[in-house]
Amino acid sequence: MNKDLKFVRNIGISAHIDSGKTTLTERILFYTQRIHAIHEVRGKDGVGATMDSMELERERGITIQSAATYCSWKDIDINIIDTPGHVDFTVEVERALRVLDGAILVLCSVGGVQSQSITVDRQMTRYNVPRIAFINKCDRTGANPERVVRQLREKLNLNAVMLQIPIGLESDLEGVVDLVTMKAVYFEGEQGRDIRYDEIPAALLDQAKAKREEMLDAVSMFSDELMEAMLEEGDIPEALIREAIRKGTLSLKLAPVMVGSAYKNKGIQLLLDGVEMYLPCPTDVENIALDIDNNEAEIKVSNNTADPLVALAFKLEDGRYGQLTYVRTYQGEVKKGEFITNTRTGKKVKVGRLVRMHANEMEEIEEAGSGDIIALFGVECASGDTFCGGNINWSMTSMHIPAPVISLAIKPKDNKAQDNISKALNRFCKEDPTFKSFVDHETGETIISGMGELHLDVYIERMKREYKAEVEVGAPRVAYRETITQRAEFDYTHKKQTGGSGQFGRVGGYLEPLEEGVYEFVDDIVGGSIPREFISSCDKGFSASMDKGLLTGAPITGVRCVINDGGYHTVDSSDMAFQQAAKGAFKEGYRKAGPIIMEPIMKVAVEGPSEFQGAIMGSLNQRRGVIVGTSEEGAYTVVEAELPLGEMFGYSTILRSLTQGKAEFSMEFSAYKQVPKGVAEQLIKEYEASKKN
Amino acid sequence: MGYEPLVKQNPLRVLKLTGNDKKMGLIMARAGLGKTALLVQIALDTILRGNRVLHISIGENLDKTKLWYDDMLQAILQECPVAKPHELIDMVRQHRMIMTFKEAAFDRSRLEERLNDLIQQNIFTPDCVVIDGFDFTATDHAKLEDIKNLMESLRLQTWFSATSHRDDTRVSPTGVPAPCHELDDLFETVVLLKSYQDHIELEILRDSGKKAEGSSHLRLDPATMMVRQED
Repeated sequence: MNKDLKFVRNIGISAHIDSGKTTLTERILFYTQRIHAIHEVRGKDGVGATMDSMELERERGITIQSAATYCSWKDIDINIIDTPGHVDFTVEVERALRVLDGAILVLCSVGGVQSQSITVDRQMTRYNVPRIAFINKCDRTGANPERVVRQLREKLNLNAVMLQIPIGLESDLEGVVDLVTMKAVYFEGEQGRDIRYDEIPAALLDQAKAKREEMLDAVSMFSDELMEAMLEEGDIPEALIREAIRKGTLSLKLAPVMVGSAYKNKGIQLLLDGVEMYLPCPTDVENIALDIDNNEAEIKVSNNTADPLVALAFKLEDGRYGQLTYVRTYQGEVKKGEFITNTRTGKKVKVGRLVRMHANEMEEIEEAGSGDIIALFGVECASGDTFCGGNINWSMTSMHIPAPVISLAIKPKDNKAQDNISKALNRFCKEDPTFKSFVDHETGETIISGMGELHLDVYIERMKREYKAEVEVGAPRVAYRETITQRAEFDYTHKKQTGGSGQFGRVGGYLEPLEEGVYEFVDDIVGGSIPREFISSCDKGFSASMDKGLLTGAPITGVRCVINDGGYHTVDSSDMAFQQAAKGAFKEGYRKAGPIIMEPIMKVAVEGPSEFQGAIMGSLNQRRGVIVGTSEEGAYTVVEAELPLGEMFGYSTILRSLTQGKAEFSMEFSAYKQVPKGVAEQLIKEYEASKKN
Repeated sequence: MGYEPLVKQNPLRVLKLTGNDKKMGLIMARAGLGKTALLVQIALDTILRGNRVLHISIGENLDKTKLWYDDMLQAILQECPVAKPHELIDMVRQHRMIMTFKEAAFDRSRLEERLNDLIQQNIFTPDCVVIDGFDFTATDHAKLEDIKNLMESLRLQTWFSATSHRDDTRVSPTGVPAPCHELDDLFETVVLLKSYQDHIELEILRDSGKKAEGSSHLRLDPATMMVRQED
């Protein structure tokens, strides 16, 4: 690994599902000589692409987990995180973006900017990730890179500027014209390995000149020197243009666009040149840590290898040899055998094995410098933990983790499966913060919850394949919540005298809605009506009551419990008695506080041919959807709506049959909102019935 | 709905938005003076009166159009706070639908098709349609009359915006500037936004289908783009 950070690029490859990003990664690894043969995602050789290391990914042809890999191109060391395309797995995308300095946004030249591209782009903006757009699949029927560029400008508000134009399109795709050098570039020989530069074909010359003018106009905004050179109307040095493109890209004010076809091996080497020339090295990017010892003051990390270590664990995997922790270093060095401190736990851990990952193969290394992405073996930690060296106690900013919105009950088919399920769930929960599991004590069922049907589906498949655990799966359930809408008083006495020492506790006060947060306990007791030692017992009792609402048994959120009065008995009052009193008080107050049921509302985007717009809107309307709007671009329409998650189960099948399979949809969690009265009554009825059984 | 004070206080009452459900109105101004802001305020006033609005935005994207509503609603809430603002925000969301079209993708037949989709399937039945970004330079009297007939048949109040240009000095006898100078008889109400050194004034050119007399005494606040009564 090269020590100079100028020669390091940490990049991600993000896109809408099926835009060909895994195929692109495969080509990148091939041209950088990291692999020696190309295997297609759904190739006939049955090997699958290198980055799709899980069996399931290879079978389905989609990437589920991001795998980190490393390769070298010319003088540059590139760390690549291949990120999943489906919206259910966006936490993987977000975690990857958190640690990356730059990204390639892959777009399909036919599909253009699709819903997932918009989600991914929003995430890139959130983490200030400069990006290059790569318009892939220019060999496909219906390819229209110009339309994609327009969409980049209109839908993503990017200052998208073409640096290349394709030579031919669809089956006639031959190569690209580089608008910076004004040369035609052809990719010849076995698997496009030999690059031939030539004069621009006469038929394309005028278009190339016009596009170069357009590009120079946009790029010159970032360089006074370039603008002067353009005004002088002489030859414009190539380096000047490249420098301006880089400047614009790093400032996030320019998105250079490159074109090609990964599948047909066209344009990839130039894209790698683009990564080298236009995407940032670790020192170009400002990363902020929080100083825990100094009231979480923001501190810029130095990127300096000589400074104490600051590293972020952004991904965990539990493999055959123990826990594998993917780490990005922001300053300092990690060395084998050295001790580092986990900021969250304060524990010192010894760095055992240190490896550089290449999909599921690994390469042992002795040390890693600042700005690097590597993996540690046998280090106990959670995803998102920060490791520090020396005496500093910093934490990298916390990552945005959405709460799960859907759950499923799973049941082992046999005893052997029972053990394996526990192991599998343990591992999945550690790896993926959006995946949760718990046992419902009333039904004895194991419940798993996550971000969508596909998300849970994939984990069930993994249980079967990786842990040989066959499970029976219940119907998907929406993660309802309960909350209160008004203030309500309580005054509850818990009294029991059934032989032996009795139990006594009285708790008075009120519940009120909490605007932000899940639960808050306020102690307003004056005069010792509840002794100090039992205040925390009250807190415990209220807090435990929040786990299960009285309407449907769903968790309660947004309640402030205030106690301001009470009573005790010198002999019969105890921790347990006050916990029980608080639980009773909560019940009493809750019923009077206007409890309501809330359901997750999803932001749904359906894209399809305009002829089906009416049918699509109708199908959303039938599902209690509020149609926010539609965007119509000639033959193509996007319908945006907000719908309850409970109404979206099985929607993909309905949509397919409504639109002859020509439309697709994506959804992401938007907010929790109150369920309509009729639905609430039904849910309460079902819950009452389930309690009786 | 409990939002009567917001409706009553609205200076837009001068435009007589209530009552005539077949009315066609026009907001004209040079680029950047606040046509969309005014259209959105008309839409919000209609929603606050319990009606539904279809906002058609030509050549603009969905997010930007939504942002206009969010901003104008925030401005209204700042001036006239209500007890439960999130309920008002939800109500507006449910009573409004936005449709965006590329310039080339919008025409009368497409409009009819989309309105039929919405109304016949009972997806969204608007009471008012605002059409922002319609290209009046590419239309003529017959075509616009055709749209007017369509909207009248559906009993829809319709508001358009049109951009006038400094260098085109043609005007109709009622003072409606180009490119709408030959179309003015199709509109019940025509409002022209006029820019002065420190403010933008709403000049009502046509009212109830006739040439308007006197001043509207309305201005656009340059900071919030909200309509205000002159002091």
